[in-house]
Amino acid sequence: MLLHGSISTPPSSIRLLKSQTYNTKLKLRVAAASASQIPAAVAENKLKFSISNEELESRGFLLKQSMEGLNLDQLNSVFVAVGFPRRDTEKIRVALENTDTLLWIEYSKTQKPVAFARATGDGVFNAIIWDVVVDPSFQGIGLGKAIMERLLEELLLKGITNIALYSEPRVLGFYRPLGFAADPDGIRGMVYSRKQNQKRK
Amino acid sequence: MLTNAVVAPPSLCSGHNSQLSNQLLFPYKLNYGLEGARRKQKVSPLKAGFWDSIRSGFLKNNATQVIEPPSTLPEEEEPLPQEIVLVERTQPDGTLEQVIFSSGGDVDVYDLQALCDKVGWPRRPLSKVAAALKNSYMVATLHSIRKSPEREGNDQKELIGMARATSDHAFNATIWDVLVDPGYQGQGLGKALVEQLIRALLQRDIGNITLFADSQVVDFYRNLGFEPDPEGIKGMFWYPRY
Repeated sequence: MLLHGSISTPPSSIRLLKSQTYNTKLKLRVAAASASQIPAAVAENKLKFSISNEELESRGFLLKQSMEGLNLDQLNSVFVAVGFPRRDTEKIRVALENTDTLLWIEYSKTQKPVAFARATGDGVFNAIIWDVVVDPSFQGIGLGKAIMERLLEELLLKGITNIALYSEPRVLGFYRPLGFAADPDGIRGMVYSRKQNQKRK
Repeated sequence: MLTNAVVAPPSLCSGHNSQLSNQLLFPYKLNYGLEGARRKQKVSPLKAGFWDSIRSGFLKNNATQVIEPPSTLPEEEEPLPQEIVLVERTQPDGTLEQVIFSSGGDVDVYDLQALCDKVGWPRRPLSKVAAALKNSYMVATLHSIRKSPEREGNDQKELIGMARATSDHAFNATIWDVLVDPGYQGQGLGKALVEQLIRALLQRDIGNITLFADSQVVDFYRNLGFEPDPEGIKGMFWYPRY
């Protein structure tokens, strides 16, 4: 029996199989979500990914879940292209090696990363999402959303329901439809500032 | 004085105790000498300033001494001692009490649970708590050690504060679960705890130190050098409980 609750019937037997393995994952997700106020529809995974893995693949976008095959210089270029300061590649390597969950999309034609996101945390209670980027040439087609949806699902499957991030003001509208809320109950994100401390009177 | 830096909900002991927010006001102001000292600092702004702040906080109590770290640290970073005596005071009955900061991360989960009980945070499965601690980049603690002349060699050691940080070991760290035993609040210990944690993180070259603060403690962290919404950057949570 399909617990998916999906509206359309999967067209091929292969897809049916994939849906069935998904169901056991579903139960974990519902259990993980039960304690919080995640909307029932989301908890029961009635909302599928906005773009399926197959659809992504058919358009040449390959989803990756590990650092393997990820060229860090190319990743760094994507970071720089979206406006991050250029960071030392080896430091990026250390950061990724100490990141529990990461996802990236490789464009098969160029074999280069075009989207990326990662989440750090204690693996049990909290996770913070960092470095969400989509190459400017590939923005606006749903890659960022695709990565975020899958990253969230992976965290939920691990039982982590306290998921946070820091959003620049211009992309608050990107995160809100994904389920993120700013300053819930007056909780503020704060950052330590050394410069500020040196200037303070 | 100090509640949790955390989120909705705090992770190790879920939920937070709003009663604690009323105890934010310190009996003494604790941020002098900090600015002047910091202007001279290149690498670690907290070095000289931190000790000045603790010293000025305790000048009124003659029975209390502040212990400096054993060596004068040079401008370039030496590895920080893992244990630092923050407070030393002698009780009238001759008992010596020390409050010790440690970044060694040696926390007994039962002791932590007892501490969380004291501040009123709901309990969490101990195995999960243990895993969360193990997966944290740094776990800082405050312990009270009582040495009595009669009980020679039998010191009483009690966990009275904790804070931890998760990190990618390179760029970012996030501080969670800051708590101080209510019986020890109001003495500047929470401030010392967080300052030492920051100091240790900076020493490991983690440049971006972040946290999420309940509205009642935003000012507390502001005074420690944290800025809310820098450049308009907002903290967001996925379907928060509140």
